[in-house]
Amino acid sequence: MNTSNIAEKEPKTTAKLSSEQTLEIEDNHITVGSCFSDNPKMTMRNVNVFYADKQAIFDVSLDIEKNEVIAMIGPSGCGKSTFLRTLNRMNDTVDGCRMDGDICMDGDDLYAPKLDVVELRARVGMVFQKPNPFPKSIYDNVAYGPKIHGLADSRVDLDEIVENSLRKASLWEEVKERLHQPGTGLSGGQQQRLCIARAIAVSPEVILMDEPCSALDPIATAKIEELIEELSENFTIAIVTHSMQQAARVSHRTAYFHLGKLIEVNPTEQVFTMPQHQLTEAYITGRFG
Amino acid sequence: MANMTFENHIMKQFDEEIEEIRTRLMEMGGKVEQQLQNAIKAVSEADSSLAQEVIEQEQVVDEMEVEIDESCILIIARRQPAASDLRLIMMVTKAVNDLERIGDEANKIANHAILLSEDGGSTRGYPEIRHIGTSVVKMLANVLDAFARFDADAALQAIEEDKQIDLDYKTALRELVTYMMEDPRSISRALNILWVVRSLERIGDHAKNLCEQIVFVVKGKDIRHK
Amino acid sequence: MNNKSQVLSKIQSSLARRNRAEARFRWYGRMAIFIGLLAVALLFIDIVSKGHGAFRATYIQLDVRYDQALVGIDNLTDAEQLIAGNWQALPKSALRTYFPDVSGRSDKRKLYKLLSNGAGFDLKDRLVADPSLLNRIESVWILADDDIDTYYKSWLDGNPYDARMSDKQVKWIHQLHQEGQIALHFNSNLFTRGDSREPEQAGIRGALMGSFFTLVLTLLLSFPIGVSAAIYLEEFAPKNKWTDFIEVNINNLAAVPSIIFGLLGLAIFINVFHVPRSVPIVGGLVLTLMTLPTIIITSRAAIKSVPPSIREAALGMGASKYQMVLHHVLPLALPGMLTGAIIGMAQALGETAPLLMIGMVAFIVDIPGGFSDPATVLPVQIFLWADSPERAFIEKTSAAIMVLLSFLIIMNTSAVWLRKRLERRW
Repeated sequence: MNTSNIAEKEPKTTAKLSSEQTLEIEDNHITVGSCFSDNPKMTMRNVNVFYADKQAIFDVSLDIEKNEVIAMIGPSGCGKSTFLRTLNRMNDTVDGCRMDGDICMDGDDLYAPKLDVVELRARVGMVFQKPNPFPKSIYDNVAYGPKIHGLADSRVDLDEIVENSLRKASLWEEVKERLHQPGTGLSGGQQQRLCIARAIAVSPEVILMDEPCSALDPIATAKIEELIEELSENFTIAIVTHSMQQAARVSHRTAYFHLGKLIEVNPTEQVFTMPQHQLTEAYITGRFG
Repeated sequence: MANMTFENHIMKQFDEEIEEIRTRLMEMGGKVEQQLQNAIKAVSEADSSLAQEVIEQEQVVDEMEVEIDESCILIIARRQPAASDLRLIMMVTKAVNDLERIGDEANKIANHAILLSEDGGSTRGYPEIRHIGTSVVKMLANVLDAFARFDADAALQAIEEDKQIDLDYKTALRELVTYMMEDPRSISRALNILWVVRSLERIGDHAKNLCEQIVFVVKGKDIRHK
Repeated sequence: MNNKSQVLSKIQSSLARRNRAEARFRWYGRMAIFIGLLAVALLFIDIVSKGHGAFRATYIQLDVRYDQALVGIDNLTDAEQLIAGNWQALPKSALRTYFPDVSGRSDKRKLYKLLSNGAGFDLKDRLVADPSLLNRIESVWILADDDIDTYYKSWLDGNPYDARMSDKQVKWIHQLHQEGQIALHFNSNLFTRGDSREPEQAGIRGALMGSFFTLVLTLLLSFPIGVSAAIYLEEFAPKNKWTDFIEVNINNLAAVPSIIFGLLGLAIFINVFHVPRSVPIVGGLVLTLMTLPTIIITSRAAIKSVPPSIREAALGMGASKYQMVLHHVLPLALPGMLTGAIIGMAQALGETAPLLMIGMVAFIVDIPGGFSDPATVLPVQIFLWADSPERAFIEKTSAAIMVLLSFLIIMNTSAVWLRKRLERRW
């Protein structure tokens, strides 16, 4: 347990508040709160991420517990999305992106040279900011993952996987009559749930969500949040969100990032009533961001 | 969290709304304090017209409670306050309740003041009431001060004062019971005095609640029932 | 208050100016489009007015007697006899029968010139097709000579062109016309025959087939190569100096004058690899070189326009890069690629210059039957005809241009249609 208090010695980096007042982060900031767990699903130690010469993530250490929903919040450009994308190596596709440190899932090093990124992404699914169903039928969208990974032995198997996934994503009742119509014809919220169904069709262990509701209206958002709550029974979920209320509603733990540093990790109820770090306080009360 | 501040929100109106609520609360506190002082004065000086004034004031305080409560609900609905803002708003909704109850108690004291003055003023001037009254007024002033400065330490000290008030209340109780046993004719007077002392003690308890809420705002810790 | 009305009046005065400027600008645009349309309309009117005549040819109706002795054959199944036979005697005798009072060598020669010098062979074909006609008389519409054709058409139009006609010929034509023995019929020769020195016998079939074989080869080569190159460059190649260099060069190649590709083809394919000249193979290779940059550039643009979110979704599902490209990027980019390919093909169809360099400009009478038969292509055919002195070739040239333009229009329309159609499906 790491519970260092707010220290204001050697201030180097400063965060500008909306008025003249500034808050400081130490250069070698140590994350405040409870970032380690006894029953971790994923462990990250001293993770640094660089885009070409620019460092995007500074020395982040964090555990993600089994079946927990962890929310990552912070102002734009704080590195929360970058950090999320290191968890299934989506950053590999970005030119000039480099990472050091250890990221393990169930003790397996995700960045080991022998590990195939295709296998990793089957274990760690991802849902993106903008609903991005393939321009194919609803059925084919969900069946795509099982097909490429060869998870279904027969057509019947595949049908079952598709139905189960759509049910888990609370979409089955809405689309069962039109499985073979294009997925792009659904509403935004339905599309996003289709993307979630697509992600869980390959039975991942962890689901990463990168601002999954930022393009949705409040009703669709509420449905996704309800879904996240249900999914947390079977999956470990890491969600990046711009909406603090959303983080407060769906997550068990909240991690606050600022300028590439992990400032504070604490149980959500604590973060939103009594945050430990001044910066977290300033951010969630709407004093900068 | 040495210096509590509720400024510097990106939304300037939010700053203003919080400031408005604080000012209104302090104003209400001032009104209630005034009410309490007047009520005690009305008792000790057997001034029924002052007591009448206190009773009339009560309505103003009630209206303020409703107004401040409404502002708080509006802020919660519109701004979804978090962390210190949330704690402050929650504290204010409770504090107005406590302040209104203090006002109620002052009102009761004023009623008894009228009854006492009808019985004729006391030559002794009710030393029990004066003593506890002074302590309670001082405590309420300290509490309101602590709230104005968000001073958790001052609030914690004020809580200690309540313990003294409770002790004084018990002493006064025993004294009054003794009087009643010595002289049954004084029972109705002594009862009136007893009600006044009891109201003062209740006011002390409400003031203590206020202190606990200040500590909650500043430290984020709930120290009730501990 | 005063200030407010001042601001308002200023806005109003500037508003009028701005509206005028906008109206002016619209008019400029309309004028530009009008001029463009006018130019196209003039081009089409000119070509159609010149070329429409070529779709009809002048025929003269004569009673032909398929006289065995006259031709000098006794067996219709004997190929040698068919070749050696004096077929021209048939139309000549038919003419003499029709105009019995023509005598004298020079008059007879003029008489014979009424008919196309291929008329005997046309009659031979009829006879071979129906051997029962032998030694019988049949009334046949026989193709007239190009000079007669030109004169007759211009005379019908009220503006007779008789520079190459003798008075007697004019008289005969008028006689034939009065007796209803001369008429204009649909010119099927234009679409069924190859090139010829005789305008009335010349057709564009050879050039069309040449264009067809050349374009098929170009498409078969340039589309897969272009698309593969585009996919590699866009999806797999690392972004470094080398790929930048390649990209710049592809863009430059697209702007290289097409004749340079012809020179390249001559130097490499013909001189080094000894590919035979004048054949669709070498034409296809050269046009492939020419259209590749176009196809690569349009394909890359099509690939680029596939939203990155789709790529992320596929990769996030655990698709390998190859699967991502094959399953998602390619189907989405295909309409754009096809459009690019069709436009490249249309360009190639209209190309003349590079083909001149590799000998596809030769005079070829036979209709090519494959990739390795000597051939010419439509635009080159137009070029050749435009160069010919015979007046009858003028309308042939325009007719060939009309055919070429309709193919281009069909291709470009199908590109637009295909793009819309495929895009709607996705």
